[in-house]
Amino acid sequence: MEMILLTSPEKCIGCGTCELACSLFHNGECRPAISRVNVFRFDKGSNVPMMCFQCEEAACMAVCKTKALVRDEETGVVQVEEDKCIGCRMCVMACPFGNIAFDRVAKVAIKCNHCDGEPLCAEFCPTAAIEYVPADTATLNRKKTFSAKMKQALEEVK
Amino acid sequence: MIEITINDIPLKVEKGTTILHAAQANGIDIPTLCNHEGLTLDGNCRLCSVEIEDMGNKKIVASCMFPITRNISVETETERVRRARNTVLQLLVNRNPKAPIIQQLCAKYGVDREERFALEPDLCIRCGRCVRACEAGGTKAIELVGRGFDRHVAPPYELETDACIGCLSCATVCPTGKITYEETPGKRKIWYKEFDVLQCKRCGIYFATKEMLDWAGRPENDRDHCNHCQKYIESVKFLTESQKK
Repeated sequence: MEMILLTSPEKCIGCGTCELACSLFHNGECRPAISRVNVFRFDKGSNVPMMCFQCEEAACMAVCKTKALVRDEETGVVQVEEDKCIGCRMCVMACPFGNIAFDRVAKVAIKCNHCDGEPLCAEFCPTAAIEYVPADTATLNRKKTFSAKMKQALEEVK
Repeated sequence: MIEITINDIPLKVEKGTTILHAAQANGIDIPTLCNHEGLTLDGNCRLCSVEIEDMGNKKIVASCMFPITRNISVETETERVRRARNTVLQLLVNRNPKAPIIQQLCAKYGVDREERFALEPDLCIRCGRCVRACEAGGTKAIELVGRGFDRHVAPPYELETDACIGCLSCATVCPTGKITYEETPGKRKIWYKEFDVLQCKRCGIYFATKEMLDWAGRPENDRDHCNHCQKYIESVKFLTESQKK
């Protein structure tokens, strides 16, 4: 079953626990700057957690020449195979959402990989603003309605 | 599946797996310098040499380049392997005494430097990882040029080239740290070429060269922000939408 990370900005309290859990699991240190998930905090207590959407037509995968970015067919997650990464940063350039970054210390691309099936951001989120849910019809519909709205909004901007 | 043995340990491997991969997958250490998982095989450093017995014949092969197609037995620590590996290290340490990775390998395998021929100390081991990385990226800006002792990596005619996009993957994959670049605010200099590095309009960090964005096909009207600030901008859109609900 394909699972997705579903975020609900209205539930987010901006505590940043997800960022700490993420960086601690992936890099062994609590450092939000290298976290795959980021919480953006706005006025009036509005907060938005953001992480990789695991796009169906992923720009990062398309641009990767050494096939270091591969999709796990079972889970639909785009993974970085670190030993194949040559550090050209083309994926970082290509992602339209800024959801993939380059770790200058480890010299590899870093992105959300759902913590190999047990995403810690969702596990540690105290308000369930990040949920790890099956990509079934109900949640997908919710996402689709939302993305339709997003598309509309983007067209308005243009 | 093919049955092989590595250091007398019986293993089953997929046909076509290289000896190096089979060994690594089973926790057997084989040193290597020129091999990189993301790049084409080249087998030029010969450090990963192992001894195989194939239908009664014993020979030394480069394990990174040897696909397993039939039952063979592999030994990674015989006298012959040790001699081959130490010769390689001896030659490498002669020319590159200061390369940290070579110093580590020499310490690990007990190789002491003996003066063999007088050459300028260098850091480049001519493994061609940088060349292969540049080729893999599609830019093909650098190549190994010259022969013998003069062999070195350079862009065409040792001049700045339009092909280079300043992505720094050559420096990233270099095992010895030979490839360096200068980075000052707004400028990056590598392979005789100076690049303008674009500044993020929100946070002010210098994030990429124009050539890199061109190469990745980033739209002209969407180049103002670094990846983190791009994420922020997306989150603003996200927020506006969720508040409309």
